[in-house]
Amino acid sequence: MIRKTILLLFLFVSITSCVSVKEYEKVSLNDPDMILADKKSDRNISTFHSYREAAVGANGGKTGGGCGCN
Amino acid sequence: MEEKQVEVAAATNHHKHKKDMRSLINLNLVILFLFVLNGFAQTSDTDTSTYKKRVLESIEVDFLASYYSQDGDNAAVSGGIGTEELTDLTSAFVVSVPLNDDDVLTIDAGISAYTSASSSNINPFDDGYADPFVASSGASSSDVWINANGNYSHSSDDRNQIVSGKLSISSEYDYFSVGVGGSFTKLFNEKNTELSINANIFIDTWKLIYPYELRPFLEGGAGLNDPLFTRNTITGNPNYQPLFSELNGKGRNSYAIGLGFSQILSKKLQGTLSLDLIMQTGLLSTPFQRVYFDDMEDSFIDNFHLADDVEQLPDKRIKTAIGGRLNYYINEIFVVRTFYRYYMDDWGITSQTASIELPIKIADKFTLYPSYRYYYQTAADYFAPYEEHLSTDKYYTSDYDLSKFSANQYGFGMSYTDVFTKSHVWKFGLKSIDLKYAHYSRDSGLTADMITGGFKFVME
Repeated sequence: MIRKTILLLFLFVSITSCVSVKEYEKVSLNDPDMILADKKSDRNISTFHSYREAAVGANGGKTGGGCGCN
Repeated sequence: MEEKQVEVAAATNHHKHKKDMRSLINLNLVILFLFVLNGFAQTSDTDTSTYKKRVLESIEVDFLASYYSQDGDNAAVSGGIGTEELTDLTSAFVVSVPLNDDDVLTIDAGISAYTSASSSNINPFDDGYADPFVASSGASSSDVWINANGNYSHSSDDRNQIVSGKLSISSEYDYFSVGVGGSFTKLFNEKNTELSINANIFIDTWKLIYPYELRPFLEGGAGLNDPLFTRNTITGNPNYQPLFSELNGKGRNSYAIGLGFSQILSKKLQGTLSLDLIMQTGLLSTPFQRVYFDDMEDSFIDNFHLADDVEQLPDKRIKTAIGGRLNYYINEIFVVRTFYRYYMDDWGITSQTASIELPIKIADKFTLYPSYRYYYQTAADYFAPYEEHLSTDKYYTSDYDLSKFSANQYGFGMSYTDVFTKSHVWKFGLKSIDLKYAHYSRDSGLTADMITGGFKFVME
């Protein structure tokens, strides 16, 4: 599993490392809906998930501390 | 003889061919690695502008609020049966203050108040007829959780490095937590590539609250001579004798380290990969969650099954989560946001989460957010439903949050954005309002409804 992930990461980096979008070409990427994270207003929903579900992490939310959650 | 020589030659050629292939693959990997490094080497050296934009132009204030309501029939407090009815109201202020061009201080403080039918049944005997499907009154039926976080971040002059540190504290009646963390982010390739690492430690402490009928069996307790048993009639087995002893320790420590990698893939596509490793030690079971054994006689007061024990779980857990996001800007109206996560831990749980959101800009200031999320997990090795554990087991829980289930969540949100902040509250201009409703349902029966709201203000 970890080997696959490293390979995936490596391939992702390899494929994309030569891409270079200039600052003035990032209009679409700078759209607030393109942010690579949950919206701030959604964070309580993520917190409820961490209480009701076993899985946590890799989403910018809680990772198991600071609450009596799973 | 000739045939043998041909075979040997063929075998030699085959071996040589395999060796050549391996060398070729290794060479390719080396080239690939150099290629990647070259990609990273195209860093900020083209960013030679002397103008330094402030990281944050002015003070920003977010007010976040949410309402959550759930119901189900598998309460962990009553050993896998009973009402899971719960409502929660949460509100928080997040204030970001630019201290200078490079540094930002963020204070995040919130309060959450809940009422819970299931936790009210920590003591189901305080009024009326005791029943796991009926809420009780009393202290454990509600609680307030408060928390505060402080985060300080510093960006380098070229904005290609960000260092941050944070402190957090949270408290509720039976739980207290202190946390410390930090992160380092590096941007490469004209800010097309971002690598980050973060680490967090939480030091938590439980106040041990046990199911009410087990408390007389703590050291020094009156056992069956306790008024609970002398004033009520025990049906089923009248010689109630739980297999219960006090839990060892009150502390729970969590150590998390995370790696992140984000990449712009084109003018309209970007993605990120995250890896989180989490280790938890200490008291990982919840002291007031009952367990009933199949091989012990059952005792009842009214319709409430008296606990055989509280859940017992290992004092260590290692969690691994790998996630990815991919966002695509289709056009001025549509954006696609996707998320996938694979999770596993050493309690035997594996899980997959996938979600998609489709922001639709219906007007200059209004965007709609339909979304769907799917979640699946396998059961923990220590989970079994009501009265299916054996008293000879070492670890046991009937908490359905650790059971096998799948869940679907449908959401719909709406946002209003005014970049010119025409509406004002005191010195603050209203920049955006976000509202969202989500309905969550598990195949095990639990359903939940969530409403969230976010108001963003900018100081002018």
